[in-house]
Amino acid sequence: MNDQLTRQQFWRLTAIGTVSFFAFWYLARALHFAPPQFLPMPHEVVMKLVDLLYNPFAGHVLSEHMLASLTRFGMGFGLAALIGIPLGLAMGWFRLLDDIVTPLFDGLRFIAPVAWVPFAALWFGTGVGGPTLIIFAGAFPPCLINAYRGARNVDVRFLEAASMLGVGNLRTITEVLFPAAVPSIIAGLRIGAGLGWMSLVGAELIVASSGMGNLIVRAQSAIATDTVMAGMIAIGMVGVVIDVLIRRLERWLLKHRNA
Amino acid sequence: MTQQASNRKTLVGLTTVVLVLALWYLSTSVLGLINPSRFPRPEEVGAAFNFIQAEGYGNGKLHQHVLHSLQLVAMGFGVAVGVGVPLGLLMGYSRRAEALINPAFLLLRPIPPLAWIPLAIVWLGLDDASKILVIFVAAFVPSVINSYTGVRNIEAPVMEAARMLGIRGWRMVAEVLVPGSLPMIFTGLRLSLQASWTTLVAAELIGALYGLGSILNQAAQDIFPAMILVAMAFVGISGATTTMLLGMLENRAMPWRKGRVAA
Amino acid sequence: MATIEFSKVTRVFKRDGKDFLILDGINLTVQDQEFVAIVGPSGCGKTTCMRMAAGLDFPSGGTVKVNNTVVTEPGPDRAVVFQQFALFPWKSVHENIDFGLRSKGVSKEEREKLIAHYIELMNLKGYESAYPHQLSGGMQQRVAIARAYALNPQVLLMDEPFGALDAQTRVVMQEELVKLARKNPRTVLFITHAVEEAVYLADRVVVMTSRPGTIKEILDVKSVREAEQWDHHSRIEDVMDLESFVHLRTRIWKSLREEHAGTDH
Repeated sequence: MNDQLTRQQFWRLTAIGTVSFFAFWYLARALHFAPPQFLPMPHEVVMKLVDLLYNPFAGHVLSEHMLASLTRFGMGFGLAALIGIPLGLAMGWFRLLDDIVTPLFDGLRFIAPVAWVPFAALWFGTGVGGPTLIIFAGAFPPCLINAYRGARNVDVRFLEAASMLGVGNLRTITEVLFPAAVPSIIAGLRIGAGLGWMSLVGAELIVASSGMGNLIVRAQSAIATDTVMAGMIAIGMVGVVIDVLIRRLERWLLKHRNA
Repeated sequence: MTQQASNRKTLVGLTTVVLVLALWYLSTSVLGLINPSRFPRPEEVGAAFNFIQAEGYGNGKLHQHVLHSLQLVAMGFGVAVGVGVPLGLLMGYSRRAEALINPAFLLLRPIPPLAWIPLAIVWLGLDDASKILVIFVAAFVPSVINSYTGVRNIEAPVMEAARMLGIRGWRMVAEVLVPGSLPMIFTGLRLSLQASWTTLVAAELIGALYGLGSILNQAAQDIFPAMILVAMAFVGISGATTTMLLGMLENRAMPWRKGRVAA
Repeated sequence: MATIEFSKVTRVFKRDGKDFLILDGINLTVQDQEFVAIVGPSGCGKTTCMRMAAGLDFPSGGTVKVNNTVVTEPGPDRAVVFQQFALFPWKSVHENIDFGLRSKGVSKEEREKLIAHYIELMNLKGYESAYPHQLSGGMQQRVAIARAYALNPQVLLMDEPFGALDAQTRVVMQEELVKLARKNPRTVLFITHAVEEAVYLADRVVVMTSRPGTIKEILDVKSVREAEQWDHHSRIEDVMDLESFVHLRTRIWKSLREEHAGTDH
């Protein structure tokens, strides 16, 4: 925008920024901003992360916690997509359905996913069902909204062509609306995955007996800050991987369509 | 949308809501289809609402809880936006600043804000400070990213015109960067607000004396589904109201976005 | 004395690791209060020349000087009129024109007088509080020109300012610019690919070659214009009908045609 940087300068500054970040962290420790128990050094966190892969904490090793979380995530997210996308498309096509669902949706939408936790616990328990509901609550809105918008923004001419050819409602939705709405749907999936993963952590913080959220909350009670931070990093990394996977899917789908 | 379609939409909407409420009433009070310890009856919810309003529940009356939550959101959101928006603008305007600050940002960003709650509790305990910290973290990221995008979206000719006119420094920021990025800044504000509420509720659920989340927590422990519903409803209402206020502010702040006048 | 001086100017763009020579040895002097138009095929670097005079771009070799000082940054002494108007969407017409004046430290009274003068001059009366998106392209460009003129710049740099307008509006704007330029002459560098526009407006027309751009030839229009008294005709179509005009225009077309032929691989 304002100043043009050469590639070299850009990477040099990036390196300085990265180093400064860690330097600041070490410095904070050296200057006793917090007692060592509360502020582990970066390398201690990394070592702990590796350690957790082999030595259990709160009953399980890292991979087991992660698996529990991912299972819940998969179910909640899968459900959100399976219900949200077709429903969104249908709402985009059937105005009446839109008029019926929208007020209900708008009413529930503003309730933060985590606020569903006590309810979910009451109804579905704390194993898989409860957290799944909360992930669903987080992932569902973007999936629905984006499918809906994608369907509504379809070029009218496609719809006119379809109706002229005598294509019925179901086929219009699956063979005209859906393909055209794919970019929007994928965007919704990405946002939904992010929100769902976030909601999962929240749910596990409160009600679960296993999983990553549970791991860090137990570590917090034990004031095992290095474990807390290691857990946070692991959660972040998996979140990134999920996002990257969906983006890969998006690219594959786009290539497929244009071929 | 035509008036007819708009009317029909409202009618169907109202009918749906009424039907759902009727269904609720029928299946719980009249037919007793649902176990009351799982899902409360409408009158129970009404009673719980009256109770918490008049007598209080979990350390305070309803308005005290709502106010407390509101305060925390306001503080966390306020600081996050106050720091995040200028930072985003700076990063958008200066590639140097972007290169320097981005690494720290990229390292911290993937960590979901809710995952900060245990760390915040370790550092700051269970009172308000830890909650404000987590709200800050949650609200910070969307503000930065959207302000950054906002600046980058200002068209190059407009930026060049500003420089040509001799606009520098503070005037560039106040009269070009900020107004030019305002639409995206508001998008960021909306996202930040949403994130603030989500995070606050979670933090309060885990441990708090006051606030909507604390009501939820208490009601869950007491197995008081009616109160849970009341709390959930007010979480929704608070979120919706603050979002609406933000929307109103957005419209007032950008008077230049309207229709065509002259040929 | 506001002169623009390009001496031995070259410009190389780096892209994907390759070097593209855009300008190769430009030598050109625009005299004080002279109106010079540059025409040339697409990609010949004519806009780059203007941007270097503006301080929005810099030569890889050689120097660009305005008033005998090397250009280091953009400024209100070298006002630019952009093809895309570049008005500030969040400011009204009045505020857009006022914006540049404020940084010059002009008193409020003076500013109001100036703005009123140019609004009148550019036929913008009544639209002072309108926002750019409410105006048509022609009106927006009028605001951009008013904004530039109000700065009372020594040098005026115009980058295909009428390119984004429809044919009728373009004609009106050209007539207005001619009137303005004769009444209020200043040093102008005008970039266009429309030959007729260049011949109608300019004192001299510079013809550039295709990439890498050099100056192919420079034609003196002013002497022809004065000899044939073009300014006696107020309507553009009457001027463009004159034999002397057609002759010059065709001459330049042919010159450009050769350049285009060169790029038809």
